[in-house]
Amino acid sequence: MALAGWGGSAVAAPIPARIVSLNLCTDEYLLITARRAQIASISRLGASHHETPLAGRAAGLATNQGALGGVIDQRPDLVLTMGASPQDMALAARLGMRMIALPYPQSPAEVTRQVQRIAGLVGNPAAGTHFARQQAALTATMPARATPALMLGGSGLAPSMQGLTAGWLRLAGLAQRQSGSVAIETLLANPPPLLIISRYRPGQFSGSQAWAAHPALARIKARRVAADGRAFLCGGAAMPAEIRRLRLALAA
Amino acid sequence: MNLRLALLCTALLLASLAIGPVDLLAIAQTDPALARTLFVELRLPRAGLALLIGAGLGAGGAAAQALLRNPLASPDVLGPASGAALGAVIAGYFLGGGVLGMAMGSLAGAGGGLAILLALAGAGSRAGGTTRLVLAGVAVSTLFGVAINLALSLAPSPFALYDLMFWLMGSLADRTLPQLLLAAPLIALGLALLLRAGPGLDALTLGEDVAHSLGVALPALRRQVVIGIALVTGAGVAVAGNIGFVGLVVPHLVRPFVGHRPGRAILPAALAGAALLLAADIAIRLLPADLNLKLGVFTALIGAPFFLWLIRKGL
Repeated sequence: MALAGWGGSAVAAPIPARIVSLNLCTDEYLLITARRAQIASISRLGASHHETPLAGRAAGLATNQGALGGVIDQRPDLVLTMGASPQDMALAARLGMRMIALPYPQSPAEVTRQVQRIAGLVGNPAAGTHFARQQAALTATMPARATPALMLGGSGLAPSMQGLTAGWLRLAGLAQRQSGSVAIETLLANPPPLLIISRYRPGQFSGSQAWAAHPALARIKARRVAADGRAFLCGGAAMPAEIRRLRLALAA
Repeated sequence: MNLRLALLCTALLLASLAIGPVDLLAIAQTDPALARTLFVELRLPRAGLALLIGAGLGAGGAAAQALLRNPLASPDVLGPASGAALGAVIAGYFLGGGVLGMAMGSLAGAGGGLAILLALAGAGSRAGGTTRLVLAGVAVSTLFGVAINLALSLAPSPFALYDLMFWLMGSLADRTLPQLLLAAPLIALGLALLLRAGPGLDALTLGEDVAHSLGVALPALRRQVVIGIALVTGAGVAVAGNIGFVGLVVPHLVRPFVGHRPGRAILPAALAGAALLLAADIAIRLLPADLNLKLGVFTALIGAPFFLWLIRKGL
């Protein structure tokens, strides 16, 4: 796994005692691997029930605004983020902070490797092993034949037929059949056998919600199953539980 | 000219109804109920809104230029459109007003923007400078633009931020029949008010004193035009977001054909605005779907160079 970092070898580094996460996806990793006492702060998104199903684990933890400059006074000995800018990496180096910027994962297997890596960094490799076992169990019990389905997010955007989301859907026994912007007309004229509707902030007014409430969508002749859009935001640490839930919903 | 423009609008309306990702006629032969759903609930609202919003923006631009006696005036350049967008954003995203709330907020924002502009315009006319008036309009527009940026920065989540940004780009995709039924009477009322103001606006070209001596009640005329522009702009922004430059460009396209009488330009500007927005909406549907070009971005891409040309021409 390509890890961009500063401060020498991660393996040789001591176990950090004040960890800060600046990104929702690394928040989730931290919440399932680190001891609470090790976490100096996570991003405000990681503590929001609107953004992640793991927010319950963040109760009582300090939060930050997701910017490196805002956590300097917390004197972290490890800063985790995903997709950091070169400027942030350079700033961390100038400040003598150990910062690790994970790349965006492209597959469930890469998520597992990242979780294991973070678990190792925080001195809790058992958490990484536990996550890997969950994913291995999902892979072992994955239906041999995938059911063609269409997962739709806000405003009719369908995730890629390959990549992280498609990989997780495959573990649920589904094959994403289309990607990109999907017109309601196309959905009506050529409905998929199974429609996975990604629900995210359902109570908040938005263009996405307005699209999802379009009267014509109610006429689509396809079975619908709701996915927890929060888990799919990162497609990371919250996904094994979501895939198990999806399997149950599909079997019902 | 009006007949030709009306025929062009009809042709473009029919084209807009016919163009889509699926073959409606083929579906009608195998599944008439589905074809009806596609037509009534998807294509009709989109084409109808393009027609009405384009007409409203065209007429609103012509009326604004006539009332303010400035060729650079239009709802989107001088504040009403950004006021409408701000009102819709606050009502819909921060007060949880939903579609109806956005419409109300949008109307209030457009009217408020014009009222501020007219108050400043009054001060400008006493000082005798149209430059001051345009500057005031740009300042109003900038003020609302900054307030929209503030709203973006206060968005409750990254999701809401992106959603707001996309909404502000303007679009008619996947609009609903209730949205058409919401906007249509408001825009129709606004258009009626603007068309009725035509003779008074013609008289205004001779100056306020002469217009007054000809029996034009200027405060009532201003009120009528302000409410008309607020209705057409507010209703349009409420259902489609920001669609810029139509109100600026269209009056200049039709003015040479109406003898430079601003009051007479309102009807052809409405028809030309409808034709322009229908054509723009058809054009973006013919572009590759992956491009996902928003209607407001497309009209701005056409309108901005025209605006620059106007400035270069010294209008």
